[in-house]
Amino acid sequence: MIHAGSDTDLVLKPDVCIVGSGPGGSMVASRLARAGAKVVVLEEGGHNTKEQFDMQEPRAFQRLYQDRGNRATADLSIAVLQGRSIGGGTVINWTTSYRTPDAVLEYWRKLQGSLLTPEILKPHFEEVEERLGIQKIDYEDTNPNNRTIYDGCKKLGWQVDTTKRNVRGCLRTGYCGMGCPVDAKQSAALTYLPDAIAAGAEVYANCRVQKIESNGKHAVAAVGVVLHPQTQEATGRTIRVEPRVLVVSGGALNSPALLLRSGIDQGPVGKKTWLHPTIAVGAFYKDAIEGYYGAPQSVASHHFAHRGENAGFFLEAAPVHPMLSAIATPGYGAPLRGRLSRLPNLCATISLMIDGFDEAEAGGTVTLRNDGGPKLDYPFTPRMHECFTAGMKAIAQLHLANGALEVQTFHNDPVHIKAESDLRNIDSRPMGPNLLAAFTAHQMGGCRMGADPAHSVVDPQLRHHAVTNLYVVDGSVLPTALGVNPMESIYGISSWAAGNIKAALS
Amino acid sequence: MESRRGLLKKTIGGAVLLGAAAAVPVALRKTKLRETTAQLKFFSPAEYSIWAAVAERVLARDATPATAEEARLTGFVERPAAPSPAQIDVAAKADAFLSPLPAGDAKDLKQLLALFDNALFSFVTGGPATPFTQMDAAQQDAHLRAWQTSRLAIRRTGFQAMKRLCAAVYFGSPETFASVGYPGPPYELVKTVLESRK
Repeated sequence: MIHAGSDTDLVLKPDVCIVGSGPGGSMVASRLARAGAKVVVLEEGGHNTKEQFDMQEPRAFQRLYQDRGNRATADLSIAVLQGRSIGGGTVINWTTSYRTPDAVLEYWRKLQGSLLTPEILKPHFEEVEERLGIQKIDYEDTNPNNRTIYDGCKKLGWQVDTTKRNVRGCLRTGYCGMGCPVDAKQSAALTYLPDAIAAGAEVYANCRVQKIESNGKHAVAAVGVVLHPQTQEATGRTIRVEPRVLVVSGGALNSPALLLRSGIDQGPVGKKTWLHPTIAVGAFYKDAIEGYYGAPQSVASHHFAHRGENAGFFLEAAPVHPMLSAIATPGYGAPLRGRLSRLPNLCATISLMIDGFDEAEAGGTVTLRNDGGPKLDYPFTPRMHECFTAGMKAIAQLHLANGALEVQTFHNDPVHIKAESDLRNIDSRPMGPNLLAAFTAHQMGGCRMGADPAHSVVDPQLRHHAVTNLYVVDGSVLPTALGVNPMESIYGISSWAAGNIKAALS
Repeated sequence: MESRRGLLKKTIGGAVLLGAAAAVPVALRKTKLRETTAQLKFFSPAEYSIWAAVAERVLARDATPATAEEARLTGFVERPAAPSPAQIDVAAKADAFLSPLPAGDAKDLKQLLALFDNALFSFVTGGPATPFTQMDAAQQDAHLRAWQTSRLAIRRTGFQAMKRLCAAVYFGSPETFASVGYPGPPYELVKTVLESRK
C-alpha cells in the first residue's frame, strides 16, 4: 500500500529499499516485488491523484514539481522542470515515448563499456510499451500547435513524424503537465507502482531520504525524515530502512546529491549532467492555435539531430498555458502584455540541444547547497550558443514556410522575423545567461554508468563501484543525453537492471 | 527559488555590490512603504513594498515600450480588461510562495531586494539617486530595463527572479485569464467523462 508518511518513527528491514518512485524506482520495485523480494519504496513527494489534478498551473507546479516548480540552475539561467510526486516525472511529463536510439547505445558501449544493446533492451521496451499503452498518435489527432511543426517540416522536406504516447482513453485536454485529470496518462503511479504494491511492496510517500549510512563498502541504511503531506515540512518523525540492497532512483540531480550528502563521492558524482538545454520560439498565426488544448506534444523533427562537430538538436512543441508562457515570454509591462494578448494565436516550438556527445563537453555539475539539496551549474558555452542559434533559425524557417504571420525569439529583446532575410538578426543578438529564456525538461547523467571507476559512478550493471550493495537506477546513470525524450529509456534500462539486482539478491 | 543559493556571492562583482549596499547611509535607503492587509510570512513591510512596486511596473498596463521596435511589433489584441497587480495582490501571493525558502536563499533574496531599492547603487550604475520605490514610472521602467540588460550577470539574474515570480503569480490567477484570451480548463468535459466512466 501507499502510506502518506508515518505518525511514528519507523525502522524497516526489507530485502530492498528503493529511494524514489519515478520510472526507475517504480520499475525496479515492480520487478523485484514480483520476484518475491520484500520491497520498501521511499518517495519524497506526495501521493497525488486525479481528484487533485484541477488543471490550475500554480497548484500543479507547487504540488508536483521539484522546488515547487521553481528549480533552476544556480544562476537562474535554465529553468528545470522536474517532477516530485509518487510516480515522479511520469505524472507530469508530456507523454512522449521513444526507445533509446541504437546509435546512442553504441556510443555508450564504446565510450563507457556499457553492456546495453538494442537486442538486450528490445524485450524490455516491448513489455513497457504494452504495459503503458504506448502508441503512435495519428496526424488527425494532433493539435495545431504540433501540426504546424509537421506541416512546416514537410514543406521544407525535413524529417518529421508524429510521436508515440503512453496514454489510454486520452481526451487530449492538454493538461498532461499538471497531472492527467482523467487518468488517461499511464504514469508509473498508475502502472508499475500498483504492480509492485499488488506483489507486496510497501510505499511511503512524503519521506525525504537525507543520507545513506555506509562503511564505504556496504550501504547499511537509508535514513530520512517524514514530511507533512500538505505543508511538506518535517514532522519530526524519522524513517530508517536497513535493506540487503539499496537502490537510489531519485533521478538526475537528486540521486547525485544524495550520494554527495552521504559521503559516497567516489568517481565523478554530479559531473557530466545533461539537460537537453532547450530554447523556445513563438510563431503567431492568423487562425487560432489554442496551444493550451490538445495533446501537448505529438510531433517531433529529428532532422537536425546529427550535425557533425556541432551539437545536434531536435524540435518539438510546448503547451502554452498562461503561467508558463508568461514566465518564458520576454519583456515586462506593455510588451509582455502585448505578446500574451496573442496567446490563442501562438505556436510554441522548442529546440532541444543534444548534449554529451563531444568528449570535451563538461555539461552540468551537481554539488550541494547549504541545505543539502542539489545545486546545479550548467555553463553557457559557445557550442550551446551555436546550437541555440541554429535551432531558432530552423524553427523560424519552418513556421515561415507554413504561413506564420510572424516569428519571435525569446531573447530579452526578441528578434521579430517576418521573412527569411530577418533570420540574420538572430546572429547579432547577445546570448548568455538570462539574456534569453532557456529551460530543461530532461535531466540525465550525474551518476554515469561505465567500466572505469575514474570516469563513472556505477558499473555497467548499475552497481556502485565501491559500495557493493548499492545500485543507482534512473536517468542519472545515462552517460550522455539521449536525443529523444527519456522516459521510455529509463523504464527499459531499469527493467533490465532489475534483473541484475535480482541476481545479486539471490 | 531554492536554487538561488549564492546568488549575490557568486561573482566578485556581486560581493562588491553587497559591500556598497551595506555602506549606504540609512537615510538613503528609505523605501516608500505601502499598506498591506496581508499577514506577511516572508517579507518585511519594506520588502513587501518593493515587491509591490516591482509588480506594478512588470505587469503594468501602461508601460512605455522598451524600444521603438517593440512599440511597433507588440501591439495588443483587444481583450477584456486585466485586473491590476494590486487587485491580485501579487506581493502578498509572492510572500506566501516564498515563505518556505531555506534560510540561505531567503537571505540572498532579501539582499537582492535591498540592492534593487538602493539609491546609491542606482546612482553608481547610472540611474537617479532615488530608491526604486520613490522613482516615477518612467524611471522605474528604465531601472528595470537596466537590470534586465545589465552586463553584470547578477543584475540580470535578479531581474529574472523578480519578473518570473511576478508573472507566474499574476498570470496563473484565473482573474487574468480573459485578458490573454485563455478560456480556462475544460472542466465540463472532464466532469462528464469521469461521470460516464463510473
